[in-house]
Amino acid sequence: MTQAQITPSTPATVAAMMTLKVKVLRFDPEKDKKAHWVTYEVEASAADRVLDVINHVKWYMDPSLTFRRSCAHGICGSDAMLINGRNRLACKTLLRDVVKKSGDTITVEPIRGLKVEKDLLVDMEPFFDSYKAIMPYFINESPEPAAERIQSPELAERMAHSSNCILCACCTTSCPIFWVNGSYLGPASIVQAHRFIFDSRDEATQQRLNIMNQNTGVWRCRTAYNCTEACPRDIPITQLIEEVKRAVMYQQA
Amino acid sequence: MYRGREGQWAFLLHRLSGLAILAYLLLHVFSIGSFIFGERFYMAIHHTYDLWFFRLGLVVITAGVVYHAFNGLRIIVMDFTGAGVAYQRQMWYGVMALSVLSALYAAYRLYPRLIGGY
Ligand code: SF4
Ligand code: SF4
Ligand code: FES
Repeated sequence: MTQAQITPSTPATVAAMMTLKVKVLRFDPEKDKKAHWVTYEVEASAADRVLDVINHVKWYMDPSLTFRRSCAHGICGSDAMLINGRNRLACKTLLRDVVKKSGDTITVEPIRGLKVEKDLLVDMEPFFDSYKAIMPYFINESPEPAAERIQSPELAERMAHSSNCILCACCTTSCPIFWVNGSYLGPASIVQAHRFIFDSRDEATQQRLNIMNQNTGVWRCRTAYNCTEACPRDIPITQLIEEVKRAVMYQQA
Repeated sequence: MYRGREGQWAFLLHRLSGLAILAYLLLHVFSIGSFIFGERFYMAIHHTYDLWFFRLGLVVITAGVVYHAFNGLRIIVMDFTGAGVAYQRQMWYGVMALSVLSALYAAYRLYPRLIGGY
């Protein structure tokens, strides 16, 4: 048996340093009438994340830069931003995926459709109001069984995707319909509704389908797929929305 | 401009082609209906259709109608089947190909008119 040859390989993570122009759309409600671009030159490695770069700007160049972040590991959903023209989580976006070479520019803007409070920080209240509107809690009035409420693996599979959502708003604020019609509940709320509608143990299916059937619900969706492309959790959002649309329709029939 | 992918452009083109078809239809109804004001009025309007804008418009409206029709079918397939969502991108390229082909065919059939007018 031949032994696999061990070659000293360069670790994949070794990445050259590069100088980037980081263009941030800034807005200070106390000073500015309009948002304006400010460019910072930052030295970074291709393996760094966009969050590292804007942290660098805040910590060493301009402490007034305002943005949200918390976990820095793509799970809290705080740092959705419009990076190089697409919604992404800053902590989950590697520089090598958005720039090619030293000297390149990355643009960072607040997510759209929500009011900008300062710099990259937007008012998330309307987003969470839409979330609350779908009754995002388990409803089952039947007497509790002695042990847990059983769900088969197949039935659990139906809500596997929708239960992955971290409520980051990347989807809702990428939706062209939401930009022009803020009363549309938006893809994130529909994903959340899907999580309960397709939960075999939940009993408020009918109520939630009725909410989805209102004129702020699923029928606003025009299948533009921006949400699906934007979701950092790889949730097939448009597919889930279509499932909810069909559920609403067949319930009516 | 948000850098969305195929779906975003499919959606935008669907809206624009819908508006174009509506405009064409209104114009059509109006110009046919203008005969009630007499032949001179009717002919005056129809002479303006000889402008290059309207000649070219014939090709564009053909593409628009074909796009709107077939993308409408694409949307129906997406709404009713899971596979439709999975293959939405491929279907859109199909729709685009059909629209371009029909525009080319229209341009070919209308060639004398496109070049020389009536
Ligand atoms: S569905 Fe995806 S993009 Fe939308 S809020 Fe949830 S995790 Fe974020
Ligand atoms: S698929 Fe629907 S919800 Fe998602 S971006 Fe498009 S219109 Fe909005
Ligand atoms: S900081 Fe928590 S998701 Fe990015």
